[in-house]
Amino acid sequence: MAETALPVHRSVSPELRVFKRRISPWLYLAPAIITLAVWIYWPLVDALRLSFYQWNMLPNAPQTFVGWENYTKIFALPKFWQALRNTGIYVVGLLPLAVLIPLAIAIYTHDLPARSRNIYRAIIFVPMIIAPVVAAAVWRWLLDPSYGVVNSPIEWLGFSPIKFLSDPKVAIWTIIVITGWKLVGFSTLILSAANANINPTLIEAARMDGASKWEVIRDIRLPLLSSSILFLVMMTILLGAQWSFSYINVLTGGGPLGSTSNIYYLLWDFGFSSMSVGWSSASAIILFIGFGAVAFGLFRLIDRYSFHDN
Amino acid sequence: MTTDALVPSLAAVRPRLRRKAGAGKGFNNAAGHLVMVLLSIFCLFPVYWMVVTSLRPANAIFEESLWPTTVSLDNYAYALSAIPILRMLGNTLLIAAVVTVIQLGTGLLAAYAFARWRFRFDKLVYSAVALTWLVPFQVVMIPNYLLVARMGLLDSIIALILPNFASALAILLLAQTMRSFPKEVIEAARMDGARSWRILWEIMTPNLRGTLASLAILIFISTWNEYFWPLLLSRTPENSVIQIGIQMFMTSEGNQWGPLMAASTMASLPILIIYVVLQRQVIQSFMKSGIR
Repeated sequence: MAETALPVHRSVSPELRVFKRRISPWLYLAPAIITLAVWIYWPLVDALRLSFYQWNMLPNAPQTFVGWENYTKIFALPKFWQALRNTGIYVVGLLPLAVLIPLAIAIYTHDLPARSRNIYRAIIFVPMIIAPVVAAAVWRWLLDPSYGVVNSPIEWLGFSPIKFLSDPKVAIWTIIVITGWKLVGFSTLILSAANANINPTLIEAARMDGASKWEVIRDIRLPLLSSSILFLVMMTILLGAQWSFSYINVLTGGGPLGSTSNIYYLLWDFGFSSMSVGWSSASAIILFIGFGAVAFGLFRLIDRYSFHDN
Repeated sequence: MTTDALVPSLAAVRPRLRRKAGAGKGFNNAAGHLVMVLLSIFCLFPVYWMVVTSLRPANAIFEESLWPTTVSLDNYAYALSAIPILRMLGNTLLIAAVVTVIQLGTGLLAAYAFARWRFRFDKLVYSAVALTWLVPFQVVMIPNYLLVARMGLLDSIIALILPNFASALAILLLAQTMRSFPKEVIEAARMDGARSWRILWEIMTPNLRGTLASLAILIFISTWNEYFWPLLLSRTPENSVIQIGIQMFMTSEGNQWGPLMAASTMASLPILIIYVVLQRQVIQSFMKSGIR
């Protein structure tokens, strides 16, 4: 077979072979590059352009150039600052559920026998694969003020039912807990896996040196877990507010009084409820730049700390 | 040197250590189990309650017994007759399957280009692919919506598939795996006159089965659960996905709890079945590639 193939190969002119070698990677890349260019990079440029226009999305309506007006108006909007503040609350509020509690559980339960541990693993991972809309529907039912099963023990104890989703002070925390419900199992598994990878002789050696349980955790486990912890913190900071979007949209619509709206929901609201393309695009660009800056900072931070690994 | 000396001595004391640790273990274990049981209840109860509620007859929806006293499928019958759920489930299945296959295909092709050749701007293109991960969908949603509208594809299933033709996740994960593939094997195949196309499909791809399977699981589940993009585009139930269908039972006038839970159960069932069958692989594929 090789004998017949080789001469054919040689007979191709060298120029053609160089050309083919040049072009072939691009042919393989074409489907992916075209998709990403059409659906991500070009829209990004288009959003930048639209952010300087005023337009209500109707094809026949005129697009009017307004310069920086969209930006200045957004920055003057109390709703925008409220959403930005809420975005911060979402991220900070998620950290205990997405990082701290899983960390404590992973360390605390690592001696459990393998068989029961596997069963627990399988159970606590379930929320991760449940669709956000399903999760929202189920929690809406569980938390219903009149018939929800969560409120019935509260009423039984003689308290008035909590309006989990319609009390402006409570609603944002309800959404945070539901978002955390999706994540807690995943984070626990990531940290348990990292914790199980720690060489047991290190721990035994430290114990022999008379280290207390807490000292073992502080001086051996936490430093060795730091890269996994950092990864989860980064995920939470970058994506935490984004994960809550479906719950906000299905459960509260950003309300009551804008108390659960975050920057992602605000974009959606500007674009598709108020049909103001300019505002929505301007806040998209603001979000993109802010998001990029935070991501860049976090990656730098991780670069600096990742040598703990070795 | 010092570790060599340490290891035998450690081995010698190990039995003693074991016993010492064993003394407090009974209590520790019980407390550990308690923590895990509480966490398991927190994670699983909502899903359990969804199924139980969906099985209660209409007049017993508000009962709070832990399991239904009488089982009825009325809620399912109602949900099926109120909106075209089967059609929506079919659409969702079709979209998830097609997106999975296409994303694996474009991912394989692009990853192969990165792993096989050094070419001009290769690093730049690779970073450009990786950076798409940093663009939140909400940022590009309006231009994407306008593009679909201009193509006349609003309220169509094709429009739900098109933007998902390629994903950074598939490309990057496959490129990483391909780079660790032994170069000698590829060289040998090239010497035999195999074209790059054949090397990809006949030599590389069969060796990537593990990565491909875990990617497929991940892409299928996340496409099945996708909600935001269909929400923007769908106008009629017939051209929509099941996630949008669920929402139809939640109206501002009130909620039809029984049918809502029945629809939610039907939407989750395929994913839960995949999970029960492939539990280990599902967990692994999520853990390998993080979340998005």
